[in-house]
Amino acid sequence: MDKTIGQKKKTLPFDENVRRLMIILVVLLIVTGVTKSASFVNLSNFQSIGKQLTEYGLMSLGMGICMISGGIDLSTVYVANLSGICAGLIFQMNLPGNVAVGCLAALCVGLLCGAFNGVLISYFHIPPMLATLGSYELFMGISVVLSGGSTVSTQGQIELLSSLTLLNIPLPFLIFIICTVALVCLMGKTKFGTRTYLAGTSEKAARFAGIHVNTTVIKCYMLSGLLAGIAGLISLSRLNSAKADFGTSYTMQTILVAVLGGINPNGGAGRLSGIAFAVVILQLLSSYLNQFPTISNYYRDLIWGAALLLVLVFNVKISQKSGKKKD
Amino acid sequence: MDKKIKKVVKQTEFYILCIIIVFAVIIQIRSGQFFTSNNLMDLVRSMIVPGIYALCALLSFVSTGADVSFPLIAALSAYIAVLAGNTWSLGVVPVFLIAVITGCLIGCINGFFIVRYRFNSLIVTLGTSSICSGILFGAFEAGRTELPEKLYALSKVNIATVKNESSGLGSALPGTFIIMIVLYAAAYFILNYTMVGRSVYALGGDEISAERAGINVKKVRFGVYVVNGGIAAIAGLCYAMMSYFYMPNEYAGAEMLVIAAVILGGTRMSGGIGTLKGCLLGTFLLTMVSNSLILFGISVYWEKVVVGAIIIIGTAISAMQAQRASNPFAVRRKKEA
Repeated sequence: MDKTIGQKKKTLPFDENVRRLMIILVVLLIVTGVTKSASFVNLSNFQSIGKQLTEYGLMSLGMGICMISGGIDLSTVYVANLSGICAGLIFQMNLPGNVAVGCLAALCVGLLCGAFNGVLISYFHIPPMLATLGSYELFMGISVVLSGGSTVSTQGQIELLSSLTLLNIPLPFLIFIICTVALVCLMGKTKFGTRTYLAGTSEKAARFAGIHVNTTVIKCYMLSGLLAGIAGLISLSRLNSAKADFGTSYTMQTILVAVLGGINPNGGAGRLSGIAFAVVILQLLSSYLNQFPTISNYYRDLIWGAALLLVLVFNVKISQKSGKKKD
Repeated sequence: MDKKIKKVVKQTEFYILCIIIVFAVIIQIRSGQFFTSNNLMDLVRSMIVPGIYALCALLSFVSTGADVSFPLIAALSAYIAVLAGNTWSLGVVPVFLIAVITGCLIGCINGFFIVRYRFNSLIVTLGTSSICSGILFGAFEAGRTELPEKLYALSKVNIATVKNESSGLGSALPGTFIIMIVLYAAAYFILNYTMVGRSVYALGGDEISAERAGINVKKVRFGVYVVNGGIAAIAGLCYAMMSYFYMPNEYAGAEMLVIAAVILGGTRMSGGIGTLKGCLLGTFLLTMVSNSLILFGISVYWEKVVVGAIIIIGTAISAMQAQRASNPFAVRRKKEA
């Protein structure tokens, strides 16, 4: 706890890790600008970057919250698919007001799935990784059953959600920023946030401090589910279709983003603002690599994996150094 | 005798066995196809590769934590071995050796990060599996590859074939079954009768106590991940042999089901507890469920739902058991305080 108090006393707005990420982002922007200025630094490219990062950015935020509470949520991608499919099916029904109902249903499905995860983890004491592993099979199965194993397509009823731009900023990116700001406030300024950090640091201590750990954990997973639901809607509007096994590689990516963003996978530490920067950095890098047609897309896996391990090592080294300084 | 029965009834393996029997009987009643020679043979056949993977999962869970890298270690090392075998037209043994060595080397990376920096094993293995997939598809641009001639010849050899007289369906048990049996026998011997095997359990049970008891915790943990890489590589080659071709896209995604099977078999996620028997039974149960749903009269679409439900229910039961087992301790400790 000493550490967090120390951090709060600092006058700089972000913690050390986030500042480091910001520096990386600036360096990256300069490098990309210098080497590929014509094709990279233009409005449409940045707009597409902004659109692409929203889906897994939202899921990573959810993953981050769950990690802070001491767990992990492997099911986000499938929750997103399930809510996308539900919304798509309702859109197909041709009822009055079905677009609004569909969107609402997607969000509700997200919340419900999250609550289901939360109950499994808190009341049944299933380790988070296993619970979400099982529920991801379950959610994927339900999606397969609902969609009959095929793609659910829509006629672009909510196309606006992904195509609209306000002041040249794509709407999905705006949604991402709004969600990030709201969640950063939620985790940093409210009782719920503090409780989540405490529950992640030590469940037992939180219990003895009189916190309803179970309720807190359920809320975390519900938040993650809700974010996944929004991501599902955005992906539905972008692709005009939803499928049970869409975006399976996002699971790995969300964990990577959360860890890159400085969230401690063991729980109790990390700032959500770091995740936002990590998402932007990842998507920038990934688009930058796309500029080189000779580099296979699969190299991205290699780079992400290596980056994950390197960042982990780097974080350890940094914390060792600062630990020594204090002594 | 009475105590022995009580002890058996308390084990998770016993429950899994009961569930398997109940499922089997229901399927038999509904379709009359379960206890046929070819169906049973098919089941055994399809649990060979998951069964070998299950060893990796068991070892990592018992000693440290989750390992999700084994399918991609398998894919990468099998590809390198097949490639080397094709270019130098190697025999079976060198191909296996190359695979195992490659697997062990990748396992070293896992072990290094987990032991040296004490990172969460799930995150590290996620990272290495991503690296492996990058190397496999990016650097090697792996695609469907034919097996080296001698390996291909061996893969066509079956140790047993059966034919169902009534339906005319036949099925064969490939030679890879022997590999699985040998691996399990070796694992059984090492885990139960050697110092190394016991220290794997000790280390998962309580690391500090293990260290005090004179076990070199770091060495054992590192060794576990190296061995895991080797076992995964063998599984990768077995998989290629059983499909007669090397197909890189078929590997990824196997990890979740295997982990679920191992946990269902009574392996504790927090370490220190887990048996080979449970491993086999859990794998058998999940293979049975996904293979026999059609016999059960349920549409294939429901496969994932059923598997997910089984994982959740199974883990919930064992988690609650563990909770109950640890509760009396908590009460006693409070009283002492």
